[in-house]
Amino acid sequence: MEYVERQPIQTAPRWPEGHRSCVALAFDLDGPTGDAMLNGSIWTNPSYFTLGSYGPWRALGRLLDMLNERRVPATFFVPAWVVENWPDQCAAIIAGGHEIAYHGYRHEAFWTLDRDGQRAVMERSAEVFAKYLGMQPVGFRTPSGDWGPDTIRVLMEAGVRYSSSMRGDDRPYLLHAEGIAEPMVEIPGRWELDDYASLAYHRNPDFPASLDRIASYDATLENWRREFDGSHRDGLCLTTLFHPKVSGKPGRIALLERLIDHMHAQGDVWFATCRDVAQWWLDNNTSGHAQEFSA
Amino acid sequence: MNALHWPHNARCAVVVTVDFNDEHGILTQEPRIAGREKSLSVWRYGAKRGVDRVLDAFDEFDVRSSWFLPGRVAQTHTDLLHRIDAQQHEIGTSGYRCENFDAHTFDEQRQAFLAGQQALVDTLGRRVQGFRSFYGNWAPGFADFLRSEGVTWSSSWRGDDLPYFHLPDANANAGKVMAGDTPPLVEPPLHYELEDEPYFVYNLSPAVPVGQPRIPSYREVLANWKQDFAAFRRFGLCFVLRLHPELIGTAGRIDVLRELLAEMRSHDGVWFATGAEVAAWWRQNVDGNEPGHPVEVFARHREAAR
Repeated sequence: MEYVERQPIQTAPRWPEGHRSCVALAFDLDGPTGDAMLNGSIWTNPSYFTLGSYGPWRALGRLLDMLNERRVPATFFVPAWVVENWPDQCAAIIAGGHEIAYHGYRHEAFWTLDRDGQRAVMERSAEVFAKYLGMQPVGFRTPSGDWGPDTIRVLMEAGVRYSSSMRGDDRPYLLHAEGIAEPMVEIPGRWELDDYASLAYHRNPDFPASLDRIASYDATLENWRREFDGSHRDGLCLTTLFHPKVSGKPGRIALLERLIDHMHAQGDVWFATCRDVAQWWLDNNTSGHAQEFSA
Repeated sequence: MNALHWPHNARCAVVVTVDFNDEHGILTQEPRIAGREKSLSVWRYGAKRGVDRVLDAFDEFDVRSSWFLPGRVAQTHTDLLHRIDAQQHEIGTSGYRCENFDAHTFDEQRQAFLAGQQALVDTLGRRVQGFRSFYGNWAPGFADFLRSEGVTWSSSWRGDDLPYFHLPDANANAGKVMAGDTPPLVEPPLHYELEDEPYFVYNLSPAVPVGQPRIPSYREVLANWKQDFAAFRRFGLCFVLRLHPELIGTAGRIDVLRELLAEMRSHDGVWFATGAEVAAWWRQNVDGNEPGHPVEVFARHREAAR
């Protein structure tokens, strides 16, 4: 069958300076935070604690080198506990011109917390970012993916201007909290661009629950490349849910290098932090074809 | 950190480790397998055929590796142990029956190690230098106990791609690693992607792994390992391979190992060493862990959580 170049069915968003598509590389620097820290079991599980710590301790530095060599910005969603314990490593994110954004204090599942519980997490996180990094994030990615009905209001009251938490689109859109005029930008991710889905593996606790195999690196890279190719063809916004402790392992950095080099080779990709994407969307895409949701 | 200078100006270090657990690892991991002869024979295949194939591959590529045996296997497969030892591989222990230390008290952990150590002393006439916790963990105080028993290295934890020092549990502060009379315990840490079990372990019933994933493409696993090795070499790291004779020592998979070893041997500047050799070199050339090392962060918070 002959392959025929087709035009996108839907109107593509506009990107700065005529770029065809947008790539907002993003990493969740979870370190050892998460369920095992929240329930305390990690303090008798040093093997698992050290597995998670690899992210801020070793992977992050190499990822920053790789990004800086390629001159591409990225957003790092960082639980504040990680900033407290590895402040110098996290400061290097800012120094490299990248963005740091909220990701809970110890990777709390926001949808399980009431409004006060969520506020407490945001307040404590803000204190840590101010104390150790002298900055206040404007972005947020929900730890463990879901949030509750109160969450958008809690976030907006905490000064959050955009979220990258949802999965249901391939371009940004607007969220509205009841009674607040200003919208929040959502930059949705996709499971296809989550390295956990193909490469993460650990035992005790088990991930994946089935203990399915670590996927082929070459096949994983090809999937990611195909996702980008489609996003670029249709002029969309691709963000990633990469984790330094997973795709920043030594043998996998080359996958990210090859992926980014492939993106660069197209010549008309707008590489931006999520913060800049959100601002661009507010300024340029909020009317007309930009679909609006209420939350 | 700056690139290390490994011995002989090598770019990277390779430690090939083998867990020869016979049936004891799977009995700990999946107790419902007890009494099921067909399923147990999947794991007994290591002693039957796998060990010899793996030893031949190491001989072919002139690799001296580090083996971990639970003490019980030293008693039931003494002839194989002597053969491994005769080929100059290092012998360490992983307890007496691959005990899950998460389910054992500190005292039970000590007893398991001592029983394993004694079985190897009875067979080889010397104490071991290497220890691997089958599930990866141990109780506070166990690292000090290992040192007091003459153990110089463990390969049980994760979190780094270079060796590091376990902290003395009694004094878990940065910079105190060298305190005391016994040498510090060196950890060349593990990486799941450098282990054969996540890729290859398989049994129908009881299901191992629990979710019954397919057996993966050998070609793709080999390609992953080659890419991992290339990166450890590129960044100057310590590549710790973890093998099981019943998994990698089959007639078909031994060639995956042989191709990987051939690839590693095709490069200059790769230091193949036993765990004990890496530990000795690390002690002589590295003063202590860098500040903020995961073991220090862990010790600090664990103390607070107790």
